[in-house]
Amino acid sequence: MVDSTSGLVDRAIFTDEGLYQQELRRVFAPSWLFLGHVDQLKKTGDFFTTFMGEDPIIVSKGKDGEIRAFLNSCRHRGARVCRADYGTTKNFTCTYHGWTYDLEGKLSNVPNVAGYDENFDTADWGLVEVAQIDNYKGLIFATWNPSAPELPDALGGAKYYMDAFLDKDPEGTVVVGGIMKWELDGNWKLAAEQFATDWYHVNMSHASALMVLSPTGKGPKSEIANTPGRQFHDEQGGHGAGFPTHPKSRFDAQKVHEHYDYGFLRERLGDATVEGPMTTGHGTIFPNFSYLPINGSIRIWHPKGPNKMEVWAWTILDKSMSPEVREAQRLYNLRTFGPSGIFESDDGENWSEVQSISNGFVTNSVALNLQMGIGSEREDGVYPGTTSELYSDAAGRNFYRKWAQLMDTPAWHEEPNE
Amino acid sequence: MTATSAVLKPGTDTLEQGRLADMETHFKVTQFYNLEAETLDDGRFGDWLEMLAEDLRYWAPVRTNRLRRQQALSILQPDEAAFYDETKESLAWRIRRFDTGMAWSEDPPSRTRHLVSNVTVREHPDGLLVRSAFLVYRNRLEKETNIFAGGRTDLLREGGVYGFELAKRTLLFEANVLQAKNISTFF
Repeated sequence: MVDSTSGLVDRAIFTDEGLYQQELRRVFAPSWLFLGHVDQLKKTGDFFTTFMGEDPIIVSKGKDGEIRAFLNSCRHRGARVCRADYGTTKNFTCTYHGWTYDLEGKLSNVPNVAGYDENFDTADWGLVEVAQIDNYKGLIFATWNPSAPELPDALGGAKYYMDAFLDKDPEGTVVVGGIMKWELDGNWKLAAEQFATDWYHVNMSHASALMVLSPTGKGPKSEIANTPGRQFHDEQGGHGAGFPTHPKSRFDAQKVHEHYDYGFLRERLGDATVEGPMTTGHGTIFPNFSYLPINGSIRIWHPKGPNKMEVWAWTILDKSMSPEVREAQRLYNLRTFGPSGIFESDDGENWSEVQSISNGFVTNSVALNLQMGIGSEREDGVYPGTTSELYSDAAGRNFYRKWAQLMDTPAWHEEPNE
Repeated sequence: MTATSAVLKPGTDTLEQGRLADMETHFKVTQFYNLEAETLDDGRFGDWLEMLAEDLRYWAPVRTNRLRRQQALSILQPDEAAFYDETKESLAWRIRRFDTGMAWSEDPPSRTRHLVSNVTVREHPDGLLVRSAFLVYRNRLEKETNIFAGGRTDLLREGGVYGFELAKRTLLFEANVLQAKNISTFF
């Protein structure tokens, strides 16, 4: 299905229902998955809901100030105990029979509890809690896997590249309120892979947006269109990131660009970060969290069956930005990335196009080519970890190698005596 | 790139304001909307721009699922997430993209039909406050189909080549997760 050495990928991985179910068990359940930003939970009782794979999740801030994540499903008959996107509450009450859970997930009230015998103990029937939860510079991740490495280790070499948008401001980051959510016909891996590896598509797919953004209206100069750059991949974790290194290859909003003191950033994060991952670019934290540093876009590709994904996209901001700069970034992000974005609308077209024809028997048996840059992987002495050329499929091959490895490995929940 | 004027608050805030306009004004407004829908469905986006005031604020906030007691917060605020938050300049920028010949999400172009109804026109110190409903059907390639349903709250001013200019528009899609791979038309 996946030959990461020769760079061939079978299209069945985008369409097969059996593989999809295995993916939920062996790729999503054991991995660290993105939940949201700590800024979404400001005070005790604040909560939001999301998904881990296809599992509905509540994330809440308890009386002790701790952030916890639970399966959003009543332990009694299984309905969701919270149907709001976010808000503030004292507890979560199932509207089916009235079982009530507190902010720490404990079962705090059961109507007609006398109807159960003496073996019934509410302590046994709290909401199912994730095995591990942590945040990296404001981004909350969780996993069901008790034996997963701790979050900083799981992010591995990708942390350096993430810092280009998470660590510019000593005060940290916040998010614009609310999430843009939309659904499209396309397997989640099409998007996750693209953000990990595919800078190659930019000039063609986004030609119209690049023309509109360029001062001449005719598109970027050749030296920028054919910019040099690097692409990182994390062999252990499956993560990938790519970025041009040409100083003028940047699509940022002018007001946001003017906000930054690049001398300060060079001192704080190093010249290489400012000249590389901070110019523009993209990245994916395996399996389904992606980001665009320049646009302040962070997003998750929720799987919704083999043929569909739901995109949830936030705008991330530096805390010390003035209201005017925040507004400039919010507007720039929604006008470029998001369902109406002049870049993203063409991405949606590509993914649904690939998906819609993949079910054809012959189509499905013709492998896809991820061979660009085979053999170009190396340590370049400037950017940490293994890198290759900007236009390379190395991070894509690595993404699918990691995916195939997980698919072939029984997860912790499949091990005997567990 | 920055918004030029405050958004128009959607929904019931407007109900108490102004008395209903007379029959002739109502007729002129509905004709303006019919012309606007025709312009969009014909793909004459340049002509559509001429219906918009220079200081336009065109806003489609994201709508969230909130508990009933927090329902007042369900429509996001002007500094929060939105599907559109536009000026005339930014809409012109989006429209220029269609004219590049390389806007693949609309090549071949979609077929759309904008239906506008439930029009109420009220007098307002700054012009006319108009609420309406829209149903936009998009059909694309062989059989891709999207239905965008929602409501609009507009501020119209007399003037321009079409008799009115759109000074503010607040769009509410009847949606939480938008059921479309992209939004490549206007409403």
